[in-house]
Amino acid sequence: MDEPNTDVIQGTLDMLILKTLSLQPMHGYGIARRVEQISRGVFKINPGSLLTALQRLERAGWLDAEWRQTENSRRAKFYSLTRTGRKQLGVETDEWTRRAAAVARLLKSEG
Amino acid sequence: MSTWRQFARGLRVLTNRSRSDQDVTDEVQHYLEQTTAAYIERGFSPDEALRSARLELGGVTNVREQVRGYGWENVVDTTLADLRYAARRLRAAPAFTAVVVLTLGVAIGANSAIFSVVDGVLLRPLPYPHADRLLMVWEGDRNSGTTREDASVPDYYDLSNGNHSFTAVGAFEEQPLTLTEAGAEPVRLVAGTVTRNVLQILGVAPRLGRGFTAAEDTPGGARVAMLGEQIWRTRFGGDRAVIGHVIRLDDQPYTVVGVIPEAVAFPSEHTDLWVPLQQGPTTTPRYTHKVKVIGRLRPGVTAKAAQLDVREIAQRLEAAYPANKGRGMTVEPISTVLFAAVRPSLLVLLGAVGLVLLVACANVANLLLARAMVRQREVAVRTALGATTGRLARQFFTESLLLTLAAAVVGLVLSALGLRLLLAMAPADLPRAGNVGINATVLGFTLVVAIAVSFGFGLVPTFSALKLDLQHILRTGGRTGSADPYHRRLREALVIAEIALAVVLVVGAGLVVRSFWTLRQVDPGFTAQNVLHASLELPPARYPQSYDIYPRWTRIAGFYDQVTQRVETIPGVRSVAFASNGPLDPGITNSFTIEGREVEAARGQAEISTRLVSPGYFVTIGLPLLRGRLLSNTDNADAPMVAVINATAARQYFPHQNPIGHRLNFWGQWREIVGIVGDERFHGLTEAAPAAVYTPLQQTPAASVTLLARTTGDPALAIGAVRRAVENVGGELALFDVGTIQQALSGSIARQRFTMLLLGVFAGVATALALLGVYGVLSYTVAQRSGEMGIRMALGAADGDIVRLIFRRGAALVVAGLCIGLAAALAGSRVLAHLLFSIGTTDAATYAVASVVIAGAALGASYLPARRAAGIDPAVALRREY
Repeated sequence: MDEPNTDVIQGTLDMLILKTLSLQPMHGYGIARRVEQISRGVFKINPGSLLTALQRLERAGWLDAEWRQTENSRRAKFYSLTRTGRKQLGVETDEWTRRAAAVARLLKSEG
Repeated sequence: MSTWRQFARGLRVLTNRSRSDQDVTDEVQHYLEQTTAAYIERGFSPDEALRSARLELGGVTNVREQVRGYGWENVVDTTLADLRYAARRLRAAPAFTAVVVLTLGVAIGANSAIFSVVDGVLLRPLPYPHADRLLMVWEGDRNSGTTREDASVPDYYDLSNGNHSFTAVGAFEEQPLTLTEAGAEPVRLVAGTVTRNVLQILGVAPRLGRGFTAAEDTPGGARVAMLGEQIWRTRFGGDRAVIGHVIRLDDQPYTVVGVIPEAVAFPSEHTDLWVPLQQGPTTTPRYTHKVKVIGRLRPGVTAKAAQLDVREIAQRLEAAYPANKGRGMTVEPISTVLFAAVRPSLLVLLGAVGLVLLVACANVANLLLARAMVRQREVAVRTALGATTGRLARQFFTESLLLTLAAAVVGLVLSALGLRLLLAMAPADLPRAGNVGINATVLGFTLVVAIAVSFGFGLVPTFSALKLDLQHILRTGGRTGSADPYHRRLREALVIAEIALAVVLVVGAGLVVRSFWTLRQVDPGFTAQNVLHASLELPPARYPQSYDIYPRWTRIAGFYDQVTQRVETIPGVRSVAFASNGPLDPGITNSFTIEGREVEAARGQAEISTRLVSPGYFVTIGLPLLRGRLLSNTDNADAPMVAVINATAARQYFPHQNPIGHRLNFWGQWREIVGIVGDERFHGLTEAAPAAVYTPLQQTPAASVTLLARTTGDPALAIGAVRRAVENVGGELALFDVGTIQQALSGSIARQRFTMLLLGVFAGVATALALLGVYGVLSYTVAQRSGEMGIRMALGAADGDIVRLIFRRGAALVVAGLCIGLAAALAGSRVLAHLLFSIGTTDAATYAVASVVIAGAALGASYLPARRAAGIDPAVALRREY
């Protein structure tokens, strides 16, 4: 767990979660590993922040949660994207793209 | 963000906390297992994998708490937990809780009670729309300096027709009317005699029926009346069919045409009904001033503009009519008229009770500080375990909120009870007393006060907690023996503040007490003891009172003679008299001229207070004869017209002459001055006696009089016999306003007495609390420094030295508090200026006495702990400390 990393992407944690879940329903650990995997280790999500964020998104109505049995008869909480969640993902992606483009322009102008 | 989901999820957690907690635990556990599995896959041993996984999570408990802590329900949870904890702690210290709740409860209750009165009397808006646009127009007499005089009817008409500032101007007066109904006792009602536009000026619509028509409000118009809602309900059953009903007032039939809403209360709260004024521009003389004038400002016109307008009109009238010499006109908003008398006292009382609250708060703050000291260990442990200052602060605030809310409830109960007592003690002329009660505004006020106070209190232990040296406390077990100068200084500062506030209140109360005492000593000019008074109205139907036969109103003169004779025979009655107005009733004033000074009069006619009396008046009320002779039975309608003046009139108008034999003229009649009598105070004890003239009732009869009787014993015992005597002679006559002059005198200073009593109580309570504060803080000092005392004694200090040590500390506090308090009192006593009678706000004697009293009491309170200090066993003290 790399605290500074997660703090930097505080605002984008939601977006990463939504994106990850847009592919398939997952539990918390799975989401963390997937994000780490695809970002090639750039984004390491703090478990506490992740689970809290998942609660928040669930309460916001963007995720649905469901308990499933695992192999060793334990419970695991699986999250999936709702319709409004999918819409929100689109909104956040657009926002992020806009921002990234603006930053890129700023950086280029200096060079 | 879905509000519903937020709410629902939180609710689910709240209702099944254990289930939700289990869910979180399971989820975190699952995460941990997955992480562990990943490590095992990488080749770690199970133990190492678990340890690494735990490290990666950063502590399972931490994560669990973090996830669990999200959501609004946690705020609710912590608040409830805080409340439960606070309640438990308070229950564990019953003495402390009781003292605090009681002290605060009494203080808050007193504030609520006084605020109720202020709200009901002063703050509640008047029942007329845009009441700030309503002005009274007064006449004033430049020569005698009076400013709130009635106007004459012709003046009113000129004002009404000639002004530019008012949409309408109305005139009114009050008169008693006797209502007679078949088979019932005659009852005296108070009638407002109004011009028909008064309803429109006030801006109210009749509750029922209509107002008066133009035809009805003319001389000789039909006799009609509007009933007040109160008597409509009580005497006429609230029956809507009362319209058109005929009632008998003063033996004349009146047709009811409407009902006035209850809230209107015009011209006064005692008004029972309205009848039309039925005057015209020439029906009464210009020198008879009998009506009050009220007007509504035109939109956009200011009161100042209206003032200039009426002043100009008055000047025009003065130039045109000799009767108006020296008469000016002024305007005054009706709110000032209604409240000017009581506003200063009520506001002072509100301020004073606020100071009492501050003293109570200081006391409670001291108690809280003491308790904070005791709880040092608990706080230290909690801080060491990770409690943030914010969390602790919330805990303390919850505790203080619980305390103050409990105190507020106690306070409201006390104030509800106290209000009853307060209103019973209050002067009878307290306007709108019916509005006073515990209503929503008062509850809101109490809540605000409670929250403000609790906020202040919450800060006390919070600051105390901030200053803790954790290590030291945990090591030594939080003994209060650790001399913490910060705490001591804070507590001493609070006590100094308490003493200062108490000084301010005691000085204020002292000034008011002295003022009241001086007022009581004022000689009213007459002998008030053992005189009874009763007023009556002779109805014109049975007692002809027309101006054609004036002054030969033989039936009326006969009535007075017969009643006087009968009442004189009542055992215990020493003398009887009739007067147009009794003592302390200012009565009417008239313009007059002195023979030989008509030229002077042309420049400015003065006004003189006029009383129409039977010959026995002077003896009955005890006015001494200074020169010449009193009025006698020979001064009847056939004899030469005479009058008696008082000493002030003699001094003002005949400064170096003998007034006897001179003549003065009023009501178009010359009258010879035959005697001078002592002054009686017409306007109450606070105002000097005006120039006055007394004329015999036989020569200037009146149909509305007051009967006065001097008795040897308690005058109240003779009232029944007097009633019977009046009944025997006059038949069905309502006697009203019956009482003793002593009561009337006492009632005339009721407001001053009321203020004095309340201020005295407040000062007493504040002083008691301040004394407790001094005692408390010195006891604390003694306990704190017991080790030091032990050492001193071991080193040879005598008892006296120890006592002196503590005593000096107490004296220092008292002196500091006294100085600040006296300075504050000097600065602030200005607010009392309106309430004081012939005492200045810097009356040295009062300040001196207050200082001595408080200093003495406070030093006395310091003595006890000082003595206790001397009683310390040095061995015990030393052992306890180390």
